[in-house]
Order: sequence, then C-alpha cells, then structure tokens
Amino acid sequence: MYKAKHAGIISTIVIIIVLVLLVFLTNVDVKNLSYAQSISTSFIRPVQNGFNYLGNKLKGNDAFFVDLNTLRKENEELKNKNSKLEEQLRELEIIKAQNASLQEYSVLKDKYANYESIPADIIDRDFSNFGSQLVLNIGKKQGVEVGMTVIAEAGLVGNVVSCTNTSSTVQVIVDASSSVSAMITTSSEGIICKGSIDNNSELRATYIDTSSEVLVGDTVVTSGIGGIYPKGITIGTIKEVVNTNNLTDRYAVIETAVDFSKLYTVLVIKN
Amino acid sequence: MKKVGIGIITYLVFIILYFLQTNFFSWFTIGGVSPNLFIIFAIFLGLFTNNYFAIVMSVIMGLTIDFEIGKQFVGPTAIMLTIISILVSYLDKNFSKDSKITILLLVSLGTIVFEIGLYGLNIFVFKYTSEMSTFLKILAVEVAYNIVLTYVLYNLIRKIGSKIERMFKEKHLLTRYF
Repeated sequence: MYKAKHAGIISTIVIIIVLVLLVFLTNVDVKNLSYAQSISTSFIRPVQNGFNYLGNKLKGNDAFFVDLNTLRKENEELKNKNSKLEEQLRELEIIKAQNASLQEYSVLKDKYANYESIPADIIDRDFSNFGSQLVLNIGKKQGVEVGMTVIAEAGLVGNVVSCTNTSSTVQVIVDASSSVSAMITTSSEGIICKGSIDNNSELRATYIDTSSEVLVGDTVVTSGIGGIYPKGITIGTIKEVVNTNNLTDRYAVIETAVDFSKLYTVLVIKN
Repeated sequence: MKKVGIGIITYLVFIILYFLQTNFFSWFTIGGVSPNLFIIFAIFLGLFTNNYFAIVMSVIMGLTIDFEIGKQFVGPTAIMLTIISILVSYLDKNFSKDSKITILLLVSLGTIVFEIGLYGLNIFVFKYTSEMSTFLKILAVEVAYNIVLTYVLYNLIRKIGSKIERMFKEKHLLTRYF
C-alpha cells in the first residue's frame, strides 16, 4: 500500500519534470543557449564524427563487397583460362617429347638404314645391384623375338632375352652374364667383351691374342661371330690395357659407346 | 575376409615400394649401390604377420619382380624372398622383435642371405663371372644402406607392425610368454 502510494508520487514528479523541460525547450530562443550548445557539441560532435566516419566506411565497404563479387567472377574466369593454358602447355610438352623421340628414331633409322628395325622406349630398368636388364615398351605384337639385337644411336645396347606380347626384356652388354664377340677395328683382332657386376659403363676384353698390339683409344665393334649380333656395330673404345705376368691373361677395359644411364630410346633390329 | 583386405593393401604397398625402388632409389644410391626395399618388406611381413601370409605375399611379390625385370626364367627373386620370410618367421619365435637391434640384425642377415642366394643362382644359371671381391664390396654397402633405412623407419615399422600383428594374432594366445 505504502509502495503503491510512493510509486504514484514519483511517477507524477517525473512526468511534471519532463513536461516542464518540454515547455522550456520549445519556448526558449536557441541563440540564447549558444554557450550551452557549444559545451554540448564539444562532447558530442567528435563522437558523431566518429560515427559518421564509420558510416562512410561501411558505405565504402559495401562498394568493396560489390567489387569483390566482380573480382571473384573475374578470378574464376582467369582460373579457367589459366587451366586451359596449362592444359595446352602440357599437350605442347607431350608433342615436344614425341617430336624429340621421333627425331631420335629418325637419326637411328638413318644411321642403321641397312637394318630393318623397330623403335622402342625403355620403360623399366633392373634395380638390383648385380644385374643390368632393360624393359622395352614393345613385344611380340610388334614383331619382337628373343635373340634380336638392340642398338642405340651411339652403338650396341644388348639383345632381347625374353618378351611378352607388349614388352620385352633386354640383357645389356654390361650385364655380368653378357659376352660379346668383338674385334678391334685398327687391327681386326678378335676379342671377347664381358660385362661385370660393378660397372655399368665398362666392359672387360679378354682372349686378346698374345701377338696383337692393343692401343688405348682403339674402337671395338661387333665381329658378327656367334650369331647374336650383326657385324660392325660399335661397342666402345679401349680405355686401358692391363698387362699381367702371364701375357695370355692380359685384358683391356672398354668404355662403352652407349651411356646406359641416359638411355631412353633404342632400336630393335629385326633381321 | 579381413586378411584378403590386408593382402590387397600389402600388395599395393609393394607396388609403391616397387616404384620407389626403380625410380627414386635408382639415383639415390651410395657409391652406385641402392638399398633393397623388398628385403626389408619381406622381413616386416615375416615378423608381424603369420607364416602362411608372409610366404604367400613373398611369392606374389617375387613373381611380380621376376615378371617385370627377370631374365629367361621366372622365380629367383620369388624363391629368395620366400626363404627370407620363412627364416624371419622362424627367428621371430626365438628372438624378441621389440628390440631395435634384433630387427637391424634380421635385416642384415636377410640382405646377406638374399643377395648371396641370388648371386649364386645367377652364377649357376646365367653363367655370371664370379667376382667375389666386388660382390662382397657391393653387399657390404647394401647391408649398411638397408640397416640405415630400417633404423630411420623403425618407429613406423613397429607402429604399423603392432597393428597388423594384432589383426593376425588376436585370437591366439602367445604361449611363449607363459
């Protein structure tokens, strides 16, 4: 009861104050209040300026968002263009690689024009530390048979030891189980070139005739004896002649003409 | 069914290892000698799976390698990998694989057995010239390289191995611990 009575008094007072203020403010000339206005504005204006600044910024941001949408669209278009260009570049690179391969084949074909041959790419290599086989991307379907000779631009690579319909395995001349009947071009002396397990660029020439003079730098080619390799294909050059106490045991180290670590394209001789 | 799934995953891992071995490790060599990831993998299978699974996977992996880069006859790699997995499965019963040293020794032993066996087969079948000093030099480097790789991968091998072992041996009591 007491509370309700007091609440009523307070509300009445508040209403009266508000009313008086309204009357006062609406009837007094503003000029007469300039001092009060200046005090008020000195507090409020900076705040208001701040709000205005923020508002302007937001309006600017709105424009920024509009621009962002346009930029996104442009970015998408550019991305699409970029991916198309990248695709074209990849195609171009493939064409370039094919062109390089074809040029290599062409050089090889010209060099070994007497032989009927099939071009091939190396698709796999023996990973073991004691073997040196290569796998070619052609097989029985392309006419490859076991025993066929494989050559590269620089010279002899090896011979086909097994083949499937689509691939064939080549035992290269530097393999430890390989032996090639060869001859030294300057003296026409016959030798046997054997591979080893520790070197992929050298052969060991044995069975050198005791009376023959072997010189460093002499070229070694296939002799055609043995029926595996045709005559006259370059094997390499003599790098070193190792003389032993027994003249029959002397041997020569031959550096292969073909760099097997950088070999990617070969020809398989059919005839 | 679960084992078939593990078998397929194992073969896929083997394919990844094959590409690593033939590409990356063909130039990432020590003095021209590359490690043999398949030996480490066969030892891993021998240690953490059961005998039957390890042998079957070793035969499949070996045959794949022989088909891919083998010479006239198929089988030498398959034979040697199988021998390693059998050997490791046998040794696993006598030694604790929780020890890093044990696994490193098994890798050394596996590499030696594999390479000697393969080289012997090559001399016998393909008339390789016997170059013992060169062979031993290459073998020593390969063993060291395999040990280093296993040491680096040890934690991964143990972690994956334990998970696989649980899948294979969860129903069996490990009687040797009683």
